[in-house]
Amino acid sequence: MKKGIVALLSVALMTGMLAGCQSKGNDKLVIAARGGSHVAAMEAVKATFEQEHGVKVEIIGLEAADLKQKIALDAKNKKSAYDLIMADDPWMPEFSEAGIFKKLSDLGVQADPDFEESSLALGKHPYGTGEQYALPFSGNVQLFFYNKDLLDRNGATVPQSWEEVLQRAEKVKGSGSAGYIIRGQQGNPIVSDFLPIFWAYGGQVFDDQWKATVHSEAGVKALNTYKSLLAAGENYETTDIVSAVSEGRAAMALGWPSWFISGEEAKADYAPIPSKGDADGQPVATGMIGNWMMGVTANSQNAELAAQFLTFITSSDSQKQMVAHGGVPSRKSVYLDSELSAKYKHFPVQLEALQNSVARPRTTKWSRVEEALGAELSAAIAGTKSVEAALTAANQAIDQVMQ
Amino acid sequence: MSLHSKRRFQWLMLTPVLLLLFGLTVFPFMYTVSNSFTDYYYLASESKEFVGLRNYVQVLQDEVFLQAVWNTVKFMLLAVTTETVLGLAIALLLESVKKGLRFFRVALLIPSLLPPVTVALLWQMMLSNHNGIINHMLAFFGAGPFNFLMDINTAFYAILLIDIWQWTPFAFLLLYAALQAVSRSQYEAALVDGAGRISTFIHITLPNILPSLMLVILLRTIDSFRLFDKVNILTGGGPANSTTTITQYIYRHGVYNLQIGYGASASMIMVLLVLAFTVFYIMRSLGGKRYGRNH
Repeated sequence: MKKGIVALLSVALMTGMLAGCQSKGNDKLVIAARGGSHVAAMEAVKATFEQEHGVKVEIIGLEAADLKQKIALDAKNKKSAYDLIMADDPWMPEFSEAGIFKKLSDLGVQADPDFEESSLALGKHPYGTGEQYALPFSGNVQLFFYNKDLLDRNGATVPQSWEEVLQRAEKVKGSGSAGYIIRGQQGNPIVSDFLPIFWAYGGQVFDDQWKATVHSEAGVKALNTYKSLLAAGENYETTDIVSAVSEGRAAMALGWPSWFISGEEAKADYAPIPSKGDADGQPVATGMIGNWMMGVTANSQNAELAAQFLTFITSSDSQKQMVAHGGVPSRKSVYLDSELSAKYKHFPVQLEALQNSVARPRTTKWSRVEEALGAELSAAIAGTKSVEAALTAANQAIDQVMQ
Repeated sequence: MSLHSKRRFQWLMLTPVLLLLFGLTVFPFMYTVSNSFTDYYYLASESKEFVGLRNYVQVLQDEVFLQAVWNTVKFMLLAVTTETVLGLAIALLLESVKKGLRFFRVALLIPSLLPPVTVALLWQMMLSNHNGIINHMLAFFGAGPFNFLMDINTAFYAILLIDIWQWTPFAFLLLYAALQAVSRSQYEAALVDGAGRISTFIHITLPNILPSLMLVILLRTIDSFRLFDKVNILTGGGPANSTTTITQYIYRHGVYNLQIGYGASASMIMVLLVLAFTVFYIMRSLGGKRYGRNH
């Protein structure tokens, strides 16, 4: 008898442990999203959709790397755990190529010209010209943040070139405060922080044949400027960058709007990123675009409903409502709304930055390229490699990745 | 109960464990070994192909991996030594404490109960340049501020300090339990024989707690080899790869970039390294019961 009970319990235990997967009903949509303000914004407006369609929308907020990993793993399942997914725009080539997204035209979703063109292009594969696989949920773009009081006290105006940024930074440093804060953590942070300067000097990561070109005249100038900016300031992580600039302990830094701007309040003044390297250089687009895209998974069992939610959540009305909850619009009509732009003073600057933005190179291997470049940039600012040596090594490492 | 029936029942009872062992250990391990010889990219539309030792050669030729191995071994040696010595010192100290023992025991254990991510974020705030309490305290003494996590001279040691803070209590707990199990009569005999404190520690305490000491060293060696969360959150492996560890290298290639084959080969090299550092203890455990008899 005892043996029977023990055996039964063992079987029950095994069954319980092995029964991991539960099927998802058609009355529920699951969204894998980047955690934080994106989730809060969606949560604030989703009730309307739930009521209209008699469906429950579950939003799972994840850290970026975790989100990427989960999306990739789920892509191989016959039935997806997620109906909609958010993707950082540099992931789009890799995800689109791998067939993770369903083609939006197959679901009756049309590319709306109201979306800012640069944002909409990110969701197409091939970039800008191909089929639409995702829509821009969050129209993020990097801006130039500065402490006006500190610049004023040093008799400085808002710089228009990186040469001027350095001059002002050195002047501020001379007065006892940090002139410029770089975000030099190895990996994505330092690459995102460096590329706008590199672009301003006319640099490109790749040539037309996808050969690395970071070791170039522009690369050397940009990295020398970057090192000089560090010498005239500090190297901080995000939280310290925001507090240093907003509290007047540092004069200037690059950043994403959500770091400094919350609702109607901005902790620092802002402008588009300087578009020239030297004061007499040619202006080019330098604002790094960093949109969060949203698309329907190819293996979703609720694809049509998911497409309807995608249309709903990226609609002009939803974006207008989400602004108050930390949403970052990707539609021109939202930025140009007179009531909203009167309330959110940064809208005109952000729209201008979006319209003059630059996307990171559209390759399926961008994550690995970013890692290789980030390691060498980090070595250059740490002083373990010279500028020349770091850029040469970066070129070699990137070419090896692209083979 | 017949012998046949008894044996069948024993096998029945063992089956769940064997299935779990096979499903959770043997199969994943063999699968990783087989993947390490392929060009397996998780999102590839084509099936994976056998590439022989190519991944192993590339991993071993990668400067970043070699740096990661050096960082990991250096970290392991420093962390395990410091945590074991400090854990033992605290255990010996607390054994002589008469009052407030329960409070000290609980208070000391708190760091090792926290999830690694929480620990990393906690220390990120404490080490912050502007708002961090550590730089504020140093400023009181006229020092700093220091950019602990971004400076190539301090980042590695900052991570090491955090690990020591978190895991010394673990060493303390095991060693304190071992100290409690030492027979009082041995100390009394040593006292009668006129042995001094140091002599008593070397000839009585140390031999008695040796199995636990070895266990602490083994567990901390294995665990410190897996250092990941703190590095990934606090430094991203930088500055200039000075804090990159093997697990972070594996994560970046195998998990984040989905290069499963390449990541698997780096994992296998790590397994060999861990084995090299723990083989002594494992051989002793498998080959003899010398330590076990002391319990």
